[in-house]
Amino acid sequence: MGTRDDEYDYLFKVVLIGDSGVGKSNLLSRFTRNEFNLESKSTIGVEFATRSIQVDGKTIKAQIWDTAGQERYRAITSAYYRGAVGALLVYDIAKHLTYENVERWLRELRDHADQNIVIMLVGNKSDLRHLRAVPTDEAKTFAERNSLSFIETSALDSTNVETAFQNILTEIYRIVSQKQIRDPPEGDLIRPQNVEPIDVKPTVNSDSVRKQCCQ
Amino acid sequence: MAEKPEMDGAEDEDCCSDVSSLLNNGSVVSTVPDRHGFLGGAQYSPDPKRQQAPSVALRREKKWVQMLNDWEKYMSKYYKKVRERCRKGIPVSVRPRAWLYLCGGNLLKEKHSEEKHLLSYDELLKKEGESRWLDDIKKDLHRQFPYHEMFIDQEGYGQKDLYNVLKAYSIFDSSVGYCQAQAPLAAFLLMHMPAEDAFWCLVSICTNYVKGYYKEGMETLQIDGDILFGLLKKVAPNVHKHLKKQKIEPILYMTEWFLCVFTRTLPWSTVLRVWDMFLFEGMKVVFKVGLVLLKLSLGQRSVSSMHKKFPTMCETLEALRNPPLEVMEEDFLVDQVLRLSITDEDFEYEHRRQLARRKASKQAQQQNNKLRAFQ
Repeated sequence: MGTRDDEYDYLFKVVLIGDSGVGKSNLLSRFTRNEFNLESKSTIGVEFATRSIQVDGKTIKAQIWDTAGQERYRAITSAYYRGAVGALLVYDIAKHLTYENVERWLRELRDHADQNIVIMLVGNKSDLRHLRAVPTDEAKTFAERNSLSFIETSALDSTNVETAFQNILTEIYRIVSQKQIRDPPEGDLIRPQNVEPIDVKPTVNSDSVRKQCCQ
Repeated sequence: MAEKPEMDGAEDEDCCSDVSSLLNNGSVVSTVPDRHGFLGGAQYSPDPKRQQAPSVALRREKKWVQMLNDWEKYMSKYYKKVRERCRKGIPVSVRPRAWLYLCGGNLLKEKHSEEKHLLSYDELLKKEGESRWLDDIKKDLHRQFPYHEMFIDQEGYGQKDLYNVLKAYSIFDSSVGYCQAQAPLAAFLLMHMPAEDAFWCLVSICTNYVKGYYKEGMETLQIDGDILFGLLKKVAPNVHKHLKKQKIEPILYMTEWFLCVFTRTLPWSTVLRVWDMFLFEGMKVVFKVGLVLLKLSLGQRSVSSMHKKFPTMCETLEALRNPPLEVMEEDFLVDQVLRLSITDEDFEYEHRRQLARRKASKQAQQQNNKLRAFQ
């Protein structure tokens, strides 16, 4: 973490989505606080936490949002997706149904999120080897076909959690920094009408300057 | 453990020695439950409650017993007296029965066991239930109050009762089925009363208090979020302005407050006091508690100092997720709620206003869609 919380070059909002009980909240707490809680509460409102990482010598502050996975909550999540530049779409490798629902979550993203959102498919609970119901190759192929990056993680034993977040944040960073070279700031992207543009510009001087891409 | 007289001391010790080995994630976990049954977590409060003089406690208890024995008379003739007593806090020993009476759960229970065409709790439980709801319910059984002695053990009676109550509800009201926010309510009620009573209280709360909250679409919750925000303008214009400037929608901070009626937000003794009032006065209390939390968690002397302290949405939402402890202290919070200058007319006015706004924006959207279809 290493840097002061209010000093950063980029602020990226990333949302965690996926069925109820796949481990979204524990991925969040593992990444931001290095904690795992077997006795965690089901998420009902909207929660978020932040952590800063370094990519190419730049400080990237990740603001990770977490919400309830149950279907009916999707009616109230448009505010949740607003400004998100990345999404971790999580399923449980030991529950096939949570994997089958990935397509529905992709549709949800298409309807509510920015069309350029970077999506990573995450098979969580990889520690449950003997209970595996979703073969790694199957998910990998699915991810390739849908142009998603893919990783398997375990929030419980920490496997790949750091890598998953590092990868998606790096990917977002690459896209954003390249876009700045390619496009002048006013040449903005064509976006669906129901989302606000993502505003990620490097700060001139990282000293206590805040960027509010989450709004 | 005055609220659960069926548990004697020996059983307490047994359950606790198991517990210390169960919880092993670095959090502070006690082997002795606090006075509400919590062994750890945010709502664990080991300090003894400020003791009431025994004579006062006894007097209040007697008054409540008298009221409960003559409930209909008191509710029809001495309505304000009952309200005043709820505001003072219901004595622990009579609270389970008082809550059941206040929300009318007892009447539902009687009606459904007497009338042949209606299903009783036991009859509902005999039905199969829909697997999609039962699967969701099973996932949530250990995720409600994980540090409460009743819900720690997967095979324990707490989780079993919780399953039964939620299953019965999903059958009772198939238009709702199961919403995840119902689990904390059911678990909370189960801490105070037997499963059957808890079930009928839950039914009454879902039907008469948080009506429509748990349905697909959650439109009522969204409307209530807008009403809350509208009322905030009257109560704390600066805070209203601040939230508006940062484009923070009510749904981002009030969802858990309202859907779970503060059972996950406030310290336990405060939750109980809020519920004493909520079950008598209804949703008004939920709005008022929300307004007090908004006003006192964010309110500063000036707009500029508020911006300085909460410069972005992150700091603002963080402050609302963890309101200052002194604000949530039971006597203080109740006092603030009662002092709030919001009248019934204000509620009605804001309600009508938000409904009209919603209708207008829906019509505009339809119009837009039509136009787009032509293009």
